[in-house]
Amino acid sequence: METAPLQGAATTKPWREGTEEPFVRIGRVTKKFGDFTAVNDVSLDIYKGELFCLLGGSGCGKSTLLRMLAGFERPTEGTISIDGQDMGQLAPYDRPTNMMFQSYALFPHMSVEKNIAYGLLRDGMKKPEAMEKVADMLRLVQLEKFAARRPDQLSGGQRQRVALARSLIKRPKLLLLDEPLGALDKKLREETQFELVNIQETLGITFIVVTHDQEEAMTLSTRIGVMDAGEIVQVDEPPAIYEHPASRFVADFIGSVNMFEGHVTDDEPDYIRISSRDLGQDIHVGHGVSCSMGQRLWFAMRPEKMRLTREKPEGVINAFPATVQDVAYMGNLSVYRVKLRGGRVLSATRANLTRHEEDGISWDEEVWVSWGDTAGVVLTQ
Amino acid sequence: MTGVIDRVAPLRWTARGLKWLGLDGRGLVVAVPVLWLLVFFLIPFLVVAKISVSEAAIALPPYLPIFDWDGIVATITLNLGNYGYLFEDPLYLRAYMFSIRVAFVSACIAILVAYPMALFIARSPEPRRSVLLMLVILPFWTSFLLRVYAWQGFLRSNGVINNFLMWTGLIDQPLVMLQTDFAVYLGIVYTYLPFAILPLYANLVRLDGALLEASADLGARPWATFVHVTLPLSLSGVLAGFMLVFVPAIGEFVIPELLGGPDTLMIGRVLWSEFFSNRDWPVASAVAVAMLVVLVVPIMLLRTVQSRSEDG
Amino acid sequence: MMRRSPVLLTVCILGFVFLYAPMVSLVIFSFNESKLVTVWGGFSTKWYGELFRDPQILQSAWISFQVAFVSASLAVVLGTLAAYVLMRFGRFRSRALLTGMVTAPLVMPEVITGLSMLLLFVSLEQFVGWPKGRGMTTIIIAHVTFCMAYVAVVVQSRLSGMDQSLEEAAMDLGARPVRVFFDVTLPVISPALVAGWLLAFTLSLDDLVIASFVTGPGASTLPMVIFSKVRLGVSPDINALATIIICIVALGVAIATFQLRRKK
Repeated sequence: METAPLQGAATTKPWREGTEEPFVRIGRVTKKFGDFTAVNDVSLDIYKGELFCLLGGSGCGKSTLLRMLAGFERPTEGTISIDGQDMGQLAPYDRPTNMMFQSYALFPHMSVEKNIAYGLLRDGMKKPEAMEKVADMLRLVQLEKFAARRPDQLSGGQRQRVALARSLIKRPKLLLLDEPLGALDKKLREETQFELVNIQETLGITFIVVTHDQEEAMTLSTRIGVMDAGEIVQVDEPPAIYEHPASRFVADFIGSVNMFEGHVTDDEPDYIRISSRDLGQDIHVGHGVSCSMGQRLWFAMRPEKMRLTREKPEGVINAFPATVQDVAYMGNLSVYRVKLRGGRVLSATRANLTRHEEDGISWDEEVWVSWGDTAGVVLTQ
Repeated sequence: MTGVIDRVAPLRWTARGLKWLGLDGRGLVVAVPVLWLLVFFLIPFLVVAKISVSEAAIALPPYLPIFDWDGIVATITLNLGNYGYLFEDPLYLRAYMFSIRVAFVSACIAILVAYPMALFIARSPEPRRSVLLMLVILPFWTSFLLRVYAWQGFLRSNGVINNFLMWTGLIDQPLVMLQTDFAVYLGIVYTYLPFAILPLYANLVRLDGALLEASADLGARPWATFVHVTLPLSLSGVLAGFMLVFVPAIGEFVIPELLGGPDTLMIGRVLWSEFFSNRDWPVASAVAVAMLVVLVVPIMLLRTVQSRSEDG
Repeated sequence: MMRRSPVLLTVCILGFVFLYAPMVSLVIFSFNESKLVTVWGGFSTKWYGELFRDPQILQSAWISFQVAFVSASLAVVLGTLAAYVLMRFGRFRSRALLTGMVTAPLVMPEVITGLSMLLLFVSLEQFVGWPKGRGMTTIIIAHVTFCMAYVAVVVQSRLSGMDQSLEEAAMDLGARPVRVFFDVTLPVISPALVAGWLLAFTLSLDDLVIASFVTGPGASTLPMVIFSKVRLGVSPDINALATIIICIVALGVAIATFQLRRKK
């Protein structure tokens, strides 16, 4: 799960320094369709050269936000500016953005070449010049041989590259990608992810990607904006989204997690203790948390950060006896379902480091589940 | 596009003029079909309504204006007598009732014939299905008038059917079939059968085969599956097919004229003869208005069925 | 299962016999020597010769063809506009009105449409002075009006099946709405335009009732001539005419089917 983000898309991190002017500014944008609020009071700053992912489930408003950037929808309230220029009432054909559609939207009656040239010709470029640029672009996406084909004579992966080429040819200030890899099968998707990042680096264009695939978002992006019910719930770099989720929703949405509900029983500057009904003893958290005594909160524990041992580990405060209920072998790792004394079932994963683990923990064994005192996340909302 | 308009002066002026009138490109595009239909479809009905309350006269055109203005006083004469006439003379009421009966019975028969055909086509494998469907649609493209004419040759006393029956010895006197009500029913079922088949087919072809298998798997015999699964799921198609026969059949003129007898009075035919033979335009208009009233309910029903089946 | 039910098969065969027997007999008796349409008197093609020597038939066929051609072409333009406006313009003031007016001609009895059109033309002539008298122009106007409804239905269904992001993509790449329509929408829906044109052409060519109402002296369409002949009794040259029409249609359908097959 924890794939390292591809560095280099933006070598500096202007969102950390806060000195650079944001390139795309979304200011308190709301979009209503009748009574339904698709996007609710979203503010977002995106910097030049970023590959920003909008991540969320279906119907969370991420596509509507993208379509407002492209100009297909007008915000009910709020403003959008790109490179200091207010987008206000600007029609899609007057905006410095281009979009890659989820369905690719390749014109079925035009060849690959004509599809890609379309945007240039609409800007009044002369045909020979446009065709030269198209040839360059075809080389970039490795489709030189397919210039004369029609879209329906291409494979899914080739169509995806044509769509990308068509949206890049005008060198837009901002490229919007709606589920760019959604229609590809898993293997192709993984390869294409890297290709997409390479192209983005080469051209230095700012990308905003809409996706529901968290792995994709993790791999591609400089930053991720997690959306839920029309609102942005967290904006951060991929590792931070995973390791420091801001809310129960984010913790639960990204990766898998064991969530304990409890209340604070001990609140000291350098540690707190949480009592949860699911566990026989308190959880010890080895850092301070801004909370008050008795406050209700949640403790999130990633399955891969827990240890399973036969013996009670020495010197670990958070150790709980349990019984193995189920083991699911996944190839690279195994998922253990363990039942605590109180009846609560947890998931824990172990990497399969060797090929033959005769001595592996198995069904019905009595084990100890343990974790370090900074391995979990305390969530107050 | 706009580039051209900006460059050519007369186009630019026209564009500005239109903008001044509050018509941008979008409004203009809407205005064209709306205006056409307004002038040539909606307003004609108002004219019909107007003339249906004016008085017939031997003049050109053969009715008196309802609106009179002698320079000082404007008078409006509404002559409701044309409608009264429809009720007084039993001929009209009989024609309405007969039209509804013929349309209803024909639509029922058409559905009974169309259903098994549609079911068979829907369950045929490709490419047979496409071929059969093509065969259903093909008569649409040939002349309707000629197909009705063909039945004349079939039904007359020395026609194909009588010749055949006499040759087999089943009868020794030709049967009288042409110029009867029977011929009218036959003609309507024949002409509108494809209209009944197509919506039924469209409905039945979408029926998930797994439902039939599930029903069979749960112990239903074919007939039970049909009654409990296929038929209930195709009811909207049945209703659409029925209406597509019923509605046009009510106003039918050609079929009763060519296949029916002199006393086969259907309302379309009555309107025609009021207009062409009697040259009584006001009464013809009143007949038309009354026919519309009769048709409003089934047409509304048809539209509801169609919009519902589109959603589903 | 009901799949191979012999009952269904039988009804289906009988149904097709019912649909096609009259047409087949038309074709057979068009080659009949005898004037009696239903009694076989030997093979002959003399009725075809007669047909082509009949000036009334030829003239009305030419009129019908012109009317159908112009009506179908205008109906495609107007019907496509109506369909496009309804499918792509979202909300506008006259939307409900247009929806109603586009679908109503489909279910309107021909006698009513014909009568109302005629009365309109008469009133227009009385108050506006146009159209002067009646003839081909008035028939064309009437045919355009009821044919455009059919075209609109065909085009609407094609538009609703079309991926709308194609149009958005064109706009996104810098094309203005008019450009989008001609560059993307029109080519994509062109099969529907062809189908709509053919449908309108056939409907216009086939119409008797509406044309009878709105025509004037000297403009008799083919169905009107056929109707007056048929009303007087059978005439074998009509059989010959029917055979020619059936052949043209069958040929057209065969070509269309072949084209579709090849595309697949």
